[in-house]
Amino acid sequence: MVPLHFSHFQSLLLFALIISLAFGTLGRRKPIERVKYAAWSFAMFLLVGIALGWLMYPFSK
Amino acid sequence: MFEENPANPVAAETNGSSAAAQSTGTSADTPNSATSGELSEAASPGNSGGEAPSAARTVAVALAGWLLPGLGHALLKMWGRALAIFLTVGFLVYLGAGMRGNVFEPGGEDAFARLGYVADAGTGSFYFVARALESAGPDVSHADGDYGTRFLATAGVLNLLAALHAYEAARGRKA
Repeated sequence: MVPLHFSHFQSLLLFALIISLAFGTLGRRKPIERVKYAAWSFAMFLLVGIALGWLMYPFSK
Repeated sequence: MFEENPANPVAAETNGSSAAAQSTGTSADTPNSATSGELSEAASPGNSGGEAPSAARTVAVALAGWLLPGLGHALLKMWGRALAIFLTVGFLVYLGAGMRGNVFEPGGEDAFARLGYVADAGTGSFYFVARALESAGPDVSHADGDYGTRFLATAGVLNLLAALHAYEAARGRKA
């Protein structure tokens, strides 16, 4: 198959999106709750991922 | 997008229908307030007699869910969840293999390799799909390959979580 290439942020986005959808589907019963939970989970994945990235930034030099 | 079987009380409740909640005398917002008998019957569509689900059946549901992602939920007629699990695990495996992540083999040299194999094997039959897709072998010298390894491991752990969820649903504990 053709190798896939993504940037760090694109990988983070894909990972957060897929896992959030799965969490929302498995974790909640009503459709509106699923959407809310998936959106919340997606936002937290991004927020925590970017925050951890900035926290580690000084050590990359 | 995710239509569930309306004949299944659990599925109907999942869709937000209040009919199932009224028939069991429970609120859709408080599913855990139902008695264990109600939940057992609700979570086992083929168990119309109301008897407790057999241990063999619940284990079979969990094993089916592990072998083919989503199959455990499909056996319980929870179509939406079955499709979502199949697609998410399948997409993670496809991405992980496409990014040339490491698909660990059994009998790894260190604890990380053995743990990685356990995680990868969690995808069930998709483990062999990943190996077949990754014809060029892994390449973790770049970030893509490293991320691909995590995607594959996450797919396995997610599928194990889904199989456990199907097992619990078959037992009537939650759905």
